[in-house]
Amino acid sequence: MKMIYKVSVERCIACGKCELACAFAHGTEGKPAVSRINITRRGPELGTPVVCYQCDTAACEAICPTQALVRNPETGAIDMDRGRCISCRMCVAACPFGNMLWDETYHCVQKCDLCGGDPQCVPFCPTGAIAWVPADMAAIPPEALDRETLAVG
Amino acid sequence: MPTLIIDGKKVAVPEGSTILDAARAAGVEIPTLCHHDGLEPWGGCRLCVVDLWQPGWDEDWFKLVTSCNHPAKDGVRVFTKSARVVETRGVVLDLLLARCPDAPLIQQLAADHGIEETSYAPREEPDDCILCALCTRVCDHLDITAISTVNRGAGKEIAPPFHEAPPDCIGCLACAEVCPTNCIPYETSNVRRSIWGKEFEMLRDPATGQAVITKAQAEFFAGRGGVPGEYFETSDTTKRREMAKKFVSLQILE
Repeated sequence: MKMIYKVSVERCIACGKCELACAFAHGTEGKPAVSRINITRRGPELGTPVVCYQCDTAACEAICPTQALVRNPETGAIDMDRGRCISCRMCVAACPFGNMLWDETYHCVQKCDLCGGDPQCVPFCPTGAIAWVPADMAAIPPEALDRETLAVG
Repeated sequence: MPTLIIDGKKVAVPEGSTILDAARAAGVEIPTLCHHDGLEPWGGCRLCVVDLWQPGWDEDWFKLVTSCNHPAKDGVRVFTKSARVVETRGVVLDLLLARCPDAPLIQQLAADHGIEETSYAPREEPDDCILCALCTRVCDHLDITAISTVNRGAGKEIAPPFHEAPPDCIGCLACAEVCPTNCIPYETSNVRRSIWGKEFEMLRDPATGQAVITKAQAEFFAGRGGVPGEYFETSDTTKRREMAKKFVSLQILE
């Protein structure tokens, strides 16, 4: 069964653990600025996770002049082949959702590739706002988050 | 699928693969300088040479070929570390060191091969250009063709037409980014960019002033692959913020 990365905005408490997990999964520093998932913080414990949607007709894949961005048929993600990147940044400009990022370490671009089918951010989310679920569960509406109970003090 | 033997390891590769593809599939390392996975092989640096035997030849007859562009044919035997290959790589690195004695990459590659100093006469007033042509090749690959190799022999260099600001350059910096010795200078900021003596205006996000590409790049790529030019006009930060707002408005629960 195909797996899908499911985001439930209602359950995000903007803790930023997913950003840290991603940064550490792909580098040695916990720098949210280099994380492939970004939380837009809109209030206390209110956040919206924004991450690559692995678009069916991806602008990044279409614009890349060296075919460095290619669909991975197993994970469904658009993978990035670092050896093919020429750092022209057209994909950064082309992504309509702003999910293509710059990787200063390798001086090329980077994007969420669902960690090859085992997204490292998912286990760290305390509320299940991001989840890796079978496709037939992707459309189930999220449960309301009991923020009163979660709040400390 | 052609099957070949590389340093004694048997490997099968898809039709149309090169010896270099086959070596990588077999886990055998072959050094390269002018190779880039995103570009057609060029065979110019000669660092990837290997000894090759193909069916039909005498058992002791080998040919020195560039693995990056030599087709992987069924039944060939390849040796990547024969005495002749090692010696040839040494000569290539020795000559490169004479051409670019100050380039750290060349110094490192030569030192790894046991060459501390070139045995040839070093070039006078050398720069770091090893003439791998990666810059011109990537520019051609993007259908921009702003720069090219100019002249032949000892006078060969990389330059825009007539050594003037290239009319076709869009300021994408791909040439500078792929250069293995970082010898193409450029300046870039959120406001302007300059390379090859040409000045570019950056395409800035109207809200944040951030810029990632030049206006010329945006014009050049608009419409390619069906991507509308409008997508380029805002920065990734602004786009993520907009998406976040959109998701909030699509929430099912409060």
